[in-house]
Amino acid sequence: MRKTGYKTFRRGGIHPPYHKELSSGKAITRAPVPSRLMVPLRQHIGAPNKPLVSPGDRVTVGQKIGDADAFVSAPVHSPVAGRVEVIEDVKSFSGETVTSIIIAADAEQPPFEEQKIKPLDELSAEEIREIAGEAGLVGMGGAAFPTRVKLSPPEDKPIESVIINGCECEPFLTCDHRLMIERTDELVQALGLMIRAVGADGGVIGVESNKMDAALKLRAAVSDQPNLDVEVLEVKYPEGAEKQLIFAITGREVPPGKLPSEVGCLVQNVGTAIALYEAASAGKPLYERVVTVTGPGVKEPGNLIAKVGTPISTLIEACGGFLGETAKVIIGGPMTGWAQEDLDAPVVKGTSGVVALTPELIDVREEEACVRCAKCVEACPMYLMPNSIVEAVQHGDWEKAELWGALDCFECGCCTFTCPAYIPHVEYVRKAKAEIATLKG
Amino acid sequence: MANNKLLTTVAPHLHEKGQTIERAMRDVLLALAPAVVVAIVVYGMNVVYIIAVSMITAGLSEVVMRKILRRKVTLSDLSAMVTGLIFAFLLPPTTPLWVVAIGAFLAVGVAKELFGGLGKNVFNPALLARVALMISPLALYTTKFVEPFYWKSVGFFTPVATSIDNAVAGRVVYKSLVGNTVNTVTSATPLSLLKSGRLLVDTVAGPTPVGATWVTDAGRPSFWSTFLGFKSGCIGEVCILALLIGAAYLVYRRTIDWRIPAGIIGAFFAIMLITWNHPIYQLFGGGLFLGAFFMATDWVTSPMTRRGKWIYAVGIGVFIALIRLLGPLPEGVAIAILQWNVLTLLIDRYIAKPKFGEVKKPWFNRLPVFPKRKAAEGET
Repeated sequence: MRKTGYKTFRRGGIHPPYHKELSSGKAITRAPVPSRLMVPLRQHIGAPNKPLVSPGDRVTVGQKIGDADAFVSAPVHSPVAGRVEVIEDVKSFSGETVTSIIIAADAEQPPFEEQKIKPLDELSAEEIREIAGEAGLVGMGGAAFPTRVKLSPPEDKPIESVIINGCECEPFLTCDHRLMIERTDELVQALGLMIRAVGADGGVIGVESNKMDAALKLRAAVSDQPNLDVEVLEVKYPEGAEKQLIFAITGREVPPGKLPSEVGCLVQNVGTAIALYEAASAGKPLYERVVTVTGPGVKEPGNLIAKVGTPISTLIEACGGFLGETAKVIIGGPMTGWAQEDLDAPVVKGTSGVVALTPELIDVREEEACVRCAKCVEACPMYLMPNSIVEAVQHGDWEKAELWGALDCFECGCCTFTCPAYIPHVEYVRKAKAEIATLKG
Repeated sequence: MANNKLLTTVAPHLHEKGQTIERAMRDVLLALAPAVVVAIVVYGMNVVYIIAVSMITAGLSEVVMRKILRRKVTLSDLSAMVTGLIFAFLLPPTTPLWVVAIGAFLAVGVAKELFGGLGKNVFNPALLARVALMISPLALYTTKFVEPFYWKSVGFFTPVATSIDNAVAGRVVYKSLVGNTVNTVTSATPLSLLKSGRLLVDTVAGPTPVGATWVTDAGRPSFWSTFLGFKSGCIGEVCILALLIGAAYLVYRRTIDWRIPAGIIGAFFAIMLITWNHPIYQLFGGGLFLGAFFMATDWVTSPMTRRGKWIYAVGIGVFIALIRLLGPLPEGVAIAILQWNVLTLLIDRYIAKPKFGEVKKPWFNRLPVFPKRKAAEGET
């Protein structure tokens, strides 16, 4: 293992090519508002929302247009002022069809009207949770788990520290990096809010050492607060995975199948924290986010604030269009993101990036037989044996796939990245997860 | 916007640069090159003929068997070439070429392809073929060794093959390609000297510079000749230094895991030290280094977890020591590795490593990982 002196998780992990320089120096700018937005009613993990508007209705910026009664859910809000055209199924970034509200945006967009609720210092824990819920906050690192639920840990598992995930270990993506630099103080205030919401003792912001500028700025910002800290971490993928990050910072391992609250931690993404700040200070719901549009296939990579529902083709056009021969367009990062057939999928709350890859970065080959080289075993940050899961899946033995830890896999892709036989482990694991879920009913 | 053909494969969308099976196999071929060079110096061009026949037969066997078995021909992954080269390394330098060809076919055609092809074979193909020859009627041709630099009296380029004297039944002679008996005699390997008790004096590391005699005053090979390669033996095991150079390259490239050779050599040497059985000779005299670095580390036939690797490696080391100390064979590396090849599947299945976040228990408490399977499924 390379020794850098920075904290990291113990075993496994890889060093992919990062290419962050393409967009890490680009200040956040606003993407144009498209004339037609597709706002999916389900952008989170949990119960789907029911539409609160009907075709023909007028909507304003930030108006709630979809909600559900379930606790594990997050409402959606209109990103623009305009008119609801129709409610129909739209293909999402992952290929599923999701019922979406199609909004025709007005040509003139009024700015969002800020509402002063209360000074931040006076908000109670319950109020902060309520704000997070009403604003439709979800984890913006990609998993999109409702933030209100995360901020309500079980009574018997007190949270000691809130960890802000500023690792951004996915190659290419720089949206969190830019947020940490440009909105440092707001991030620190948001951390304070989260600490209050869960009654934690303190907070830590974990930043990989390839974002030293952000780490130093954050360090200066927290220097007068004794219960806050900034931890610089080794550059290694997947440093920003929830369990790996907790282990790197605290040395505690979250047991299989358990949540971070088991070891007294709560992890929140940088983007989520900023959104919480905006919701608490100005009443602004989550209807836009920073998206990194980058890759060697994009003319002018950048970090854009995009409204939820914006088709990615609009973002790519805003970045000057494609450059040369683009062979793959990914929503999310290149390690865990979704390759797109076309450019119609809309931006959702969990969309952190749009990456256009050119052929020289793509190495797709036919899968060969496993040679048991154990490179996947060495690379797995969950200490699993990915090729054994694959073997069980190939034999259709779901029971064994589960015993080998198919459900513990969080699909970081380290195994496939390093596999000399080009076995798509992640694909097999997803199959196993689906089958095991069906078997368990 | 031109987006006529976008690729839509599943994540991850990046792959480690140059991480392919071919690269690993090329690494092994490269790592074995120094040993080939020394073998040519010590045993003449005969070595080249044997390696060429072995590698060509291995490649042909793979193509033919995969065609017959209707599998995709994967000659380009170079695995057959590696098996061919390693098999040649296990042979005496005067093995008749037709025996080489039979053995190379056994290695690739039978031990690898009939077992299911690369990745599915239970045994190290080269080793299985070597042991098959050893216990076959062709054993004689693969167990007689010549002196180092025997080619000085025969000619560097002259092909020489072990043969049987027609006049005296059972007597081994060496013949050239055209059938002339050549002036070469069978010589004992350091380990067979040890086994037969002809090595009476303990090892003294006498300096033997290149070009000087390879035998010390006491009539046995010196430490330096066993280390540098001026001794009788198989083609590949002759020069420990050359093997170590290649092995260092493989460890550096992470093609092989250092734990396996470390475990084997460590366990073996420890036992030899404790029993004080000529530890230095035992270490350098035979195929220990070739086996530990290049055969026991075979991806397919060694365990995948670190813990499993240690168990496997120490097991091989102990078995080699037991065979050499108590068994009838002077060598034992091949047999020990094959025995543990069988156990590899069990090790990988039952010596599980704890998952991330699992409560740490001592490893023996975790056995077995899998619950007993229902009888109905168990027998299928």
